[in-house]
Amino acid sequence: MIGLVVGMIWLAVELTSCTGDSSDSPPPAAPETVAGIDANGDGIRDDIEVYIDATYPVSTQGETNRALRQFARAAQSTMIDASEPAPSVAHAAERFRALECLMARRPGDFHLPFVELRARLLNTAARSLAYLQADNHVRAGNVPLLPADHWSGACL
Amino acid sequence: MTRTGMALALTVAWIVAASSMDRAHAQIATPPACQNVMAPRTTVFFVNGVTTTLDDARLNAGKLELEFLNRLPGMSAAVQANCHVFALNYNPTGGEVNDFFEAAQQQLDITPTRFWLELEGLNLFTRELIRDALEAPLTDLNRIDASTIERHAVAYREQIASPSCRRVLIVPHSQGNLYTNAAYDLLFSQAPSPPAGAIKIVGVATPAQTVAGNGLYRTSTTDVLINAIRLIRPGTLPPNTNWGITPLLLSPSYSGGHSFIGYLSADPSRTDILSDIESSLTALAAVNPC
Repeated sequence: MIGLVVGMIWLAVELTSCTGDSSDSPPPAAPETVAGIDANGDGIRDDIEVYIDATYPVSTQGETNRALRQFARAAQSTMIDASEPAPSVAHAAERFRALECLMARRPGDFHLPFVELRARLLNTAARSLAYLQADNHVRAGNVPLLPADHWSGACL
Repeated sequence: MTRTGMALALTVAWIVAASSMDRAHAQIATPPACQNVMAPRTTVFFVNGVTTTLDDARLNAGKLELEFLNRLPGMSAAVQANCHVFALNYNPTGGEVNDFFEAAQQQLDITPTRFWLELEGLNLFTRELIRDALEAPLTDLNRIDASTIERHAVAYREQIASPSCRRVLIVPHSQGNLYTNAAYDLLFSQAPSPPAGAIKIVGVATPAQTVAGNGLYRTSTTDVLINAIRLIRPGTLPPNTNWGITPLLLSPSYSGGHSFIGYLSADPSRTDILSDIESSLTALAAVNPC
């Protein structure tokens, strides 16, 4: 019995002391850039692709998966080009088309998937500020809207 | 379990249930009047509020269009005889969302991810954050951007005037109500004045003390942000609808009771707003805009 208690204490100490200077500890994470890592070069950050594919598997939710990927790609371009007025307006139009596609695919519940995805896309202060900076280039609000009966046509 | 924990659990459960499979979705049909090029046109403008990015504004306008189209078959013949064209008169709020973001990080030490998840949630509508980041844009008319008011007024005038000859309905949310009132006043202070009754307003979650042109409005009793503004400015229009008993008010993303999509997802607020829209469109249908 005593041996069991000692063993449990030892296990608890081991499990809660992972911050030691073990040689197996990973190196400190590099500061994340606005662009992040897009190993396959498809315009979507790798962590975002993992999230979309895990939450909306292609096998059962292919249309939602593609609509969210379309938005993620446009948002990624938005953040990268946030200091440039003309590209920012063009990327805003791309985001609008992606959102119209999402509304066509999920007219009853498009908002929470958007909120969840955007929160992950803008997961650092630099990315959040870049996204807002891009919005400031579209002050004139001159991005046209597609009517609802054309939203499906916005899907790429 | 804490309130935040329970709200997060409810949200996760909701998302899991809602996202389990793509629903079969029908193509959104073109309303009959919009298939007739001779049918009169009415432009329905959405004007966004203070915590609204450009993407949020697009989705808010889309939600308005979807809910309107769902309700249209039951609306009056006069409304159904018109083709309704939805548009966005964007009220740039990037600087204000930026201020809100930075204040939230400083005061609440929250992660950017949580800020975006809870942008219109109860946890961010604290007394201090409202005071530091939102109160002035919602109460100080001097903070309203004159060029934006001018641009909005020009857009309304272009719709009403020949060759467009369209009636105009404006649905502003939150701070958008201040911009809409100001643009309406500007429109009717300049010659040539549009025909009386060619433009109507149905405000949502308004921090204003009036609706220009004797328009209609709906503010919820559970709108934490507008309730806070009313404490500062007692003349703010009183609440006249609510969200009923809804899980939205437990969700981190909607619990502030101020979200436009929340207003159009919960009842009776959704039904009240759509009824106001129908009565305004019926009145507009009787007016010859040009």
